[in-house]
Amino acid sequence: MKLQSCAQSFLVALSLLFSIEGGAAAHAETMLKARINSDILSTDPGTKRDENTDGVVLHMVEGLVAFREDTSVGPLLAKSIVVSDDGLTYTFTLRDGVHFHNGALLTSKEVLWSLNRYLDPETHWRCLPEFDGNGVAKILSVTAPDAMTVRIKLDTPSPLFLTTLARQDCGGTGIMHPDSVKPDGSWDKPIGTGPFKFGIWKTGDYIELDAFNDYASRDEPMDGNTGGKKAEVDKVRFLVIPDSSAARAALLSGAIDVLNGVTPSELAAFKGRDDVTLDKHALMDIYAILLQTKDPLLQDVRIRQALALSIDRAALADAVSMGIAAANTSAVPVSSPFYGPVEKSVAPADIAAARKLLKEAGYKGEPIKLIANKRYPQMFDAAILVQAMAQQAGIKIDLEVLDWATELDRYSDGSYQAMSFSYSARLDPSLSFGAFMGDKALQPRKVWDDPEALELLRQSMTTQDKAERQALFDALHAKMLQQVPLIVLYNPAHVIATRNNVEGFRGWPTVQQRFWNVKIR
Amino acid sequence: MLAYLIRRLVLTVPTFVLVAIAVFTLVRLIPGDPVQVMLGDAVDPSLAELYRTQLGLDQSVPVQFFYWLSHVAEGDFGHSISNGVAVLPLILQRFTVSASIVLVAVILATMIAVPAGLTAAWKQNRSLDTGIVSMATILLSIPSFWLGLLLLIVFGLNLGWLPVVGYISMRENLGQALLYMILPVLTLTLTESGILTRMMRASSIEVLRLEYVTHARAKGLAESKVLMRHVLPNAFAPTWTMIGLIMGHLLGGIAVIETVFTIPGLGRLLVDSIYARDYPVVQGCLLFTAAIYMVINLIVDFCYPLFDPRVLAE
Repeated sequence: MKLQSCAQSFLVALSLLFSIEGGAAAHAETMLKARINSDILSTDPGTKRDENTDGVVLHMVEGLVAFREDTSVGPLLAKSIVVSDDGLTYTFTLRDGVHFHNGALLTSKEVLWSLNRYLDPETHWRCLPEFDGNGVAKILSVTAPDAMTVRIKLDTPSPLFLTTLARQDCGGTGIMHPDSVKPDGSWDKPIGTGPFKFGIWKTGDYIELDAFNDYASRDEPMDGNTGGKKAEVDKVRFLVIPDSSAARAALLSGAIDVLNGVTPSELAAFKGRDDVTLDKHALMDIYAILLQTKDPLLQDVRIRQALALSIDRAALADAVSMGIAAANTSAVPVSSPFYGPVEKSVAPADIAAARKLLKEAGYKGEPIKLIANKRYPQMFDAAILVQAMAQQAGIKIDLEVLDWATELDRYSDGSYQAMSFSYSARLDPSLSFGAFMGDKALQPRKVWDDPEALELLRQSMTTQDKAERQALFDALHAKMLQQVPLIVLYNPAHVIATRNNVEGFRGWPTVQQRFWNVKIR
Repeated sequence: MLAYLIRRLVLTVPTFVLVAIAVFTLVRLIPGDPVQVMLGDAVDPSLAELYRTQLGLDQSVPVQFFYWLSHVAEGDFGHSISNGVAVLPLILQRFTVSASIVLVAVILATMIAVPAGLTAAWKQNRSLDTGIVSMATILLSIPSFWLGLLLLIVFGLNLGWLPVVGYISMRENLGQALLYMILPVLTLTLTESGILTRMMRASSIEVLRLEYVTHARAKGLAESKVLMRHVLPNAFAPTWTMIGLIMGHLLGGIAVIETVFTIPGLGRLLVDSIYARDYPVVQGCLLFTAAIYMVINLIVDFCYPLFDPRVLAE
């Protein structure tokens, strides 16, 4: 005990001796430390990005609209949005008194500059294909009738227009000041309107954001990426900690305050800890088994149906997620407002029916190769369980384990029989279905190209009425269960561990962390 | 001596070119497309094509190779596909981090292993020898990630003496930097001292059997002088070679240690870029690692005559 306290005193003294200056600064400000499992790719919204990048960038930039927690879209920088009767013209009135991080006031000039920059192919905006005539709607013009009004004209009405503007992977179509780019036009740093501004980025180590004290908040309560926001800490530091064991140790030792994405296998480590709180919520990601309908064996729908019937989704979801994921047979995620009674019915496994179908199809035990990877453990675990469950019905599945990049390669060119895969969250069912529906000849990664189904999808993308859209999604769901181009298994749950000194943090149906309105005690 | 040095230097040039060819080819042989990894499950064909053109991935492989090699010859390793950062400054930045840990660890491991190996050889087949050999074998057998996690849990989590994640450079804050370095350095020191101890012991036993050692003892020279003056210099040469190899290996990447302790070093950069199929970074890291190996080997070769003058005679 004596030795321990001597050593501890020595190390504390050594630390103090060398860090008097840094220590004094640290005491003067509050810093919230959170984990990201890989470094961000850039600070330019919606260009070089991944989920970590989006999460960090959306603390600094804000779009005209943003997702609410129920996945609907609400105004953010816009005070009001008026849609013309024909659904082709969107008029955004901007909020007054909104400042950029450099002190400039938000006007339609900056909105115009930002939108035109996104629409320039040189920017490599990820969501440009949605607006160039190949996606949800073509943007015909962006104009500014006055200093606080922006008007966007489309070639076709689309209920997905605002949804796409709000998408996190599109960088929320964040509005930035033109000083965000250098005089030569290259990217510098985001000068947005968010509650935090860019601080330091030490690649591979951490990115630090500073509180923006002149932030102009909306009046309503916090809701998704919109609503009231306030930076309650002086700094937020996102630490890059790839190893989950190290991240867990970091949280338990107090080196970080928030651990985003606790894996199911690590939940036990937090049991009985009264200094840590766990927040669990369903995500909109979709775990599924993709089936190649052009494969000589799997082109027989009866074999695909038999495979689907052999899988007990509830048991599988329980097993791979330690009981926290929600079994789902539908491409409409369980947390979507369109997850209705039709989507909710999860049919139990029926081994006898599966065997009957296999017999009718003349299946003689030919092996089906199922591709999986170990980078995302749940995809691998799901594949193992599917293999075991299918075996009960007499279906022989051979696993082929690849690394993630190789699996993506095979996914993109469609060269597989079956694949354990996960689609990242899409906050509108049309986008969820659209992720795997399309012409296989043009895009081999698509798994479902039934013309009638594609027509239903097209209608869902142009119909504004919610009830009509629900009916279209129900019809798509029924058709998907009958044709089985893929077998949806479950929507995963996301677990976030926070230390008890953190106040006000809460999760929502995406993996994006939000640190506005969060205090450190 | 000069001719020996020049011969060794000249031999590095074709080695470097061969390594460049091998690195470029092997990286391209790995299945996977960097653009697809970047765009994920929502890859849009037109956007993917745009990225490929911009990154030069639409060119034929030989064209890509000559473009890359000619730029490397000018010191331009290109830019990362994932985040657009210039590769060479990135590698140098990460290498500095890895090197600060590796150099300290290898020096400490040598300081432990040389006297331990020499003592074990001197007391061969006695309990002290058995103790040292057993400890060296245990250290040799423990996987570094396991030892790292163990130390992290004990000293970082349970005792709370040391920070568990992160890295602070010495320029930023020397005291904090030293604190952050203790656990990774300790892990590497322990794991590497095992093999060095075994090597030092084996070569010392060989030397202790030689006639000139018997002669020195017969002259009545004190045992400490026999060991320090006659055994150590002659037994150290093989260990020196091993130190060079270990140094090259560790400087090229201590990805596991860097991952466990969340250190932004060269190894983690390489692993991350392989996952992302970030060709310029993977190629740059591998080429840089090969260069490090060559430089370390050169230094070892240049120092070798100091321990074994027969090299020059040959």
